[in-house]
Amino acid sequence: MPGSIPASVSSASPLAYPRSRAWGRLRDGARGLPVVPVTILGVALLAALFADWLAPHDPVLGNLRHRHRPPAWLAGGDAGHLLGTDHLGRDVLSRLLFGARISLLVGFTAAVVAGALGTAVGIISGYYGRWVDQIIMRVVDAWLALPAISFAIFLAVLLGPSEMNIVIILAGIFWTRYARVIRGEVLSLKERDYVRLAIVAGCSKWTIMRRHILPNVINTSIVLSSLIVGVVIVAEAALSFLGVGVPPPKPAWGLMLADGKEGMMAGYWWVTLFPGLAIMLVVLAANLLGDWLRVKLDPQLRQL
Amino acid sequence: MTRFILKRCGLALVSLFILSVTIFVLIRLTGDPATLLAAPEAKEADLEAIRVQLGLDRSWPVQYVHFVGGALRGDFGTSLYYRVPAGSLYWQRLPASLQLAAVAMTISLVVGLSVGILAAVNVGRWWDSAGKLIALLGLSMPSFWLGLLLIYFFAVYLHWLPTSGRGTAAHVVMPAIALSGYFTAAHMRLTRSSMLDVLGSEYVKLARLKGLPESWVLIKHAFKNALIPVLTLAGINLVLMINVAVVVETVFAWPGIGRLLYEGIEFRDFPVVQTVVLLGGVMVIAANLTVDILYAWIDPRIRLER
Amino acid sequence: MTANRRCFLGCVALILGLLLIAPAPSAAAPQGTVTYAVHITIAPAWFDPADNPGQITPFIIQYALHDAIIKPMPAGMMTPSLAESWTASKDGLVYDFVLRKNVVFHNGDPMTAEDVKFSFERYRGAGAKILKEKVEAVTIVNPHHVRFHLKAPWPDFMGFYGSPATGAGWIVPKKYVEKVGDDGFKQAPVGAGPFKFVSMTPGVEIVLEAHEKYWRKTPKVKRIVMKSVTEGSTRLAMLKRGEAQIAYKTDGPLGEEVKKDPNLDLVFSGGIATWWLQFGEMNDPKSPWHNQKVRLAANYALDRKALSEAETLGASPPTGSIVPREFEWALPVEPFPYDPKKAKQLLTEAGYPNGFDAGVITPIPPYYSFAEAVGGYLGAIGIKTRVQKMERAVMFDKRRKKELTGICLCANGGFGNAVTRIDADIVSSGVHSVLKDGEIDRLFEEQSRQTDPKKREALLKRIQQRVVDQAYFVPVYQLQWPNGVSKAMKVSGMGLIPTFYYTGPFEEIELR
Repeated sequence: MPGSIPASVSSASPLAYPRSRAWGRLRDGARGLPVVPVTILGVALLAALFADWLAPHDPVLGNLRHRHRPPAWLAGGDAGHLLGTDHLGRDVLSRLLFGARISLLVGFTAAVVAGALGTAVGIISGYYGRWVDQIIMRVVDAWLALPAISFAIFLAVLLGPSEMNIVIILAGIFWTRYARVIRGEVLSLKERDYVRLAIVAGCSKWTIMRRHILPNVINTSIVLSSLIVGVVIVAEAALSFLGVGVPPPKPAWGLMLADGKEGMMAGYWWVTLFPGLAIMLVVLAANLLGDWLRVKLDPQLRQL
Repeated sequence: MTRFILKRCGLALVSLFILSVTIFVLIRLTGDPATLLAAPEAKEADLEAIRVQLGLDRSWPVQYVHFVGGALRGDFGTSLYYRVPAGSLYWQRLPASLQLAAVAMTISLVVGLSVGILAAVNVGRWWDSAGKLIALLGLSMPSFWLGLLLIYFFAVYLHWLPTSGRGTAAHVVMPAIALSGYFTAAHMRLTRSSMLDVLGSEYVKLARLKGLPESWVLIKHAFKNALIPVLTLAGINLVLMINVAVVVETVFAWPGIGRLLYEGIEFRDFPVVQTVVLLGGVMVIAANLTVDILYAWIDPRIRLER
Repeated sequence: MTANRRCFLGCVALILGLLLIAPAPSAAAPQGTVTYAVHITIAPAWFDPADNPGQITPFIIQYALHDAIIKPMPAGMMTPSLAESWTASKDGLVYDFVLRKNVVFHNGDPMTAEDVKFSFERYRGAGAKILKEKVEAVTIVNPHHVRFHLKAPWPDFMGFYGSPATGAGWIVPKKYVEKVGDDGFKQAPVGAGPFKFVSMTPGVEIVLEAHEKYWRKTPKVKRIVMKSVTEGSTRLAMLKRGEAQIAYKTDGPLGEEVKKDPNLDLVFSGGIATWWLQFGEMNDPKSPWHNQKVRLAANYALDRKALSEAETLGASPPTGSIVPREFEWALPVEPFPYDPKKAKQLLTEAGYPNGFDAGVITPIPPYYSFAEAVGGYLGAIGIKTRVQKMERAVMFDKRRKKELTGICLCANGGFGNAVTRIDADIVSSGVHSVLKDGEIDRLFEEQSRQTDPKKREALLKRIQQRVVDQAYFVPVYQLQWPNGVSKAMKVSGMGLIPTFYYTGPFEEIELR
């Protein structure tokens, strides 16, 4: 028992110090963090995490007899359905909340997967150069020329539709953007003195790529991702329009837009307006955050 | 330089070969066109008869050689669905796609450049925010939604423009706006940021120090230099526009190649899909090649480096 | 741009003026243009009845371009058209067709027995094999009399030859086809129908013009333009703006808007596609669907009227059988009433008081919202499902190979009679059938050998009754479409033929 006290003291102090330093660094980093995008993304994230508690209704089950109810504050509205119901009588608010989960998950995962793949390919291609670079860039060229829609349908056919596939499809479409940008950056990094020094010092290629190249391109990758998240969420809507998006009846914002489009002319604007606004706000937030990161991490990256 | 160009052209052919094999295999993995062409209740013997009639009973390598051999002579095979030569379908649709892309590109450049410059010159002020808003709308509105809103407002409500189809100049306005949305935003952003870069550079500062009038500095020094990255991006985007317009084409019943490809995939119309992807690929790869060669011409170091 | 509008108004005024000045329209001169907004892409393959795939779609254009010996008309499923009359011999081996004398093709050639024989022999579409196996010979008695000799009695002969199940009875001009060849014919088809081909832009539009010498009557409309517009909202916009007078398939909310618009009418088509649920694992004793009570419960769980309202604005009559009631030898069955309490009770009796997870429900694309709604009703009695979205070709392939698991929201829209539907979907050897009922197979085998029509009909009805008693399917409704039609149309031709999805007969279509 007595021995336990010094043990706890000795373990507490070294832990406490870095923790406060880490916290301080985080606070420094957060200083000037733009309020608007962080709030929007925070709210969307909360909706995604707590949709089960927040949603007043089941997002999938509807009642055909209650279809196309307007929002609660309009004539004919129903207090139980704050934002109205859709063409199958499902609660728009509940679908919107659960939709945050799928849309954010799809958007962020696709951007991360595309970023990881594209960055890795870009580094390898740029660093090895010569025939490795040539082969990779030829594949990238051919890939860019393959229309995304044929790729999307192909995957939908082979794997059957699911959110996972949408992520693969979207990542498959967007990774080339990273690959080209990162490759260009690596080409110029390779000529820097510290990389040359590392080569002379006999570091392995793998080590150089990991220790010296990657840390220098990761910022570019992060900034690019923040811009691509928005594009990906919108692209999911286009896939849904073409019938190869997130499989119904799961609620995703893009799917809600595509599903509700036929009601627009009949005056059922609430079915599409709210998911449309949600997409717009998240895209806004992602872009503002991207702009901020760009300035914060590397002012040289304006051209992305 | 000649050697460089020859080498690049050879590599472009490699890309085309990869592309043609990929699409040939991909589309065949997605299933059997016979099941779509026959009645749902057709018996297996009927399906086999269709396969034989269309030459789909042969092995893949034989079909591939047949396809490439024909393509080199300009014969892309007969569409399984339309029963007319796939090549003629493509050439019939291409002008519509080119027209749509050209108008959309013009809109995106005019709006993107002017708003981008105004935003850069008035950074942090009202114009800048307005520009950001336009960019945001362009980025966050799926084109089918924008298209339907346009139809509803300008065609049905105001009766100003025809809803869909291709014919007069008025027909192209709404599809072009719907298609340009994302690209306008992209061009605006890039214009703004590269203008800011140039405006912050030493030689613009120098020009100002020399006492040149601000408008002169903007046009002669800043704008000209900021234009280069934007035009590079626009060149590649133009080709993208031709090939990705399927959503807009569907909404506006615009007879372009995007819809031809989409329906080709849906009906497993192998010759049509192969033709559209391959000829589209030629376009994309040619555009990349041109950019590469132009860069090499401008900056000789690139020739040596690669 | 306001000039456009002014011009449009001016045109309207001019047309109205002309209508006022012009004498009362006589039967003589066809006038005006009717523009269609068509929901599918029209393919040149459809111009030639010899290639008919056995689907109804090509008739969207063939009813205008071509004519048949016998075809469905407002008067009935088998109305003599190019034939004045037909007779079958007592032994069922010889069929005689007496042809109309005043029929000319669009190019001026008269139609004769030669063309009928040629069209039959040239036919290579769906059902061609069986037709040619059963028919011994076609002989020309005189230029207006054709005789078909069968190898053995075949009671379904007229079901194949005299209905849109095949294109064998749709007549093309022999001389012209032999001159231009198959490909040339698809580029510039010539037929005996009420409208002749003018031009075609693949994937965009097709233009037709009245065939003034059409035998039934001179068409009332001069020109018909069919534009392919796959996006439903755009079809509706065209209709609202007056760019089209007829828009096919304005279902769901689009139809509600048509209803609200004072310048438009919501018109229902005819149709013979029945929709139903079937259960892939029905024959597996471990599956809940093996239990007849569970299937019965599902039958009571659906509010078919509400489904018809939501999907087709009430156009589709609910049904209790998967055989359309208009078909020969069909057993008319009333649909099960919507009774969720009884459904729950049946589930409890079957041993599933809390319901069960039924896995996926796969609809024929793109009827996902239909499937979602059906899933909602099943969910309400505790049968949990989730919609499985499958790409068209994949779904067709899996259905054909009988690899679909869970529930299939299936349909059959083929022409024919009760036999063709039973053959495809009910007997165990059926192309799409998931049933394994020895009794049904035995009855079906028996009827195929039965030559007495009365006894045969009784057997066929016994089969259909057994399907209902066992609740093998959950029939939903007989799909008909709501379509948008401008008030400028006097006769749209929609729904005139009870078994037909598109407008027809085209010679009756008339502008106001």
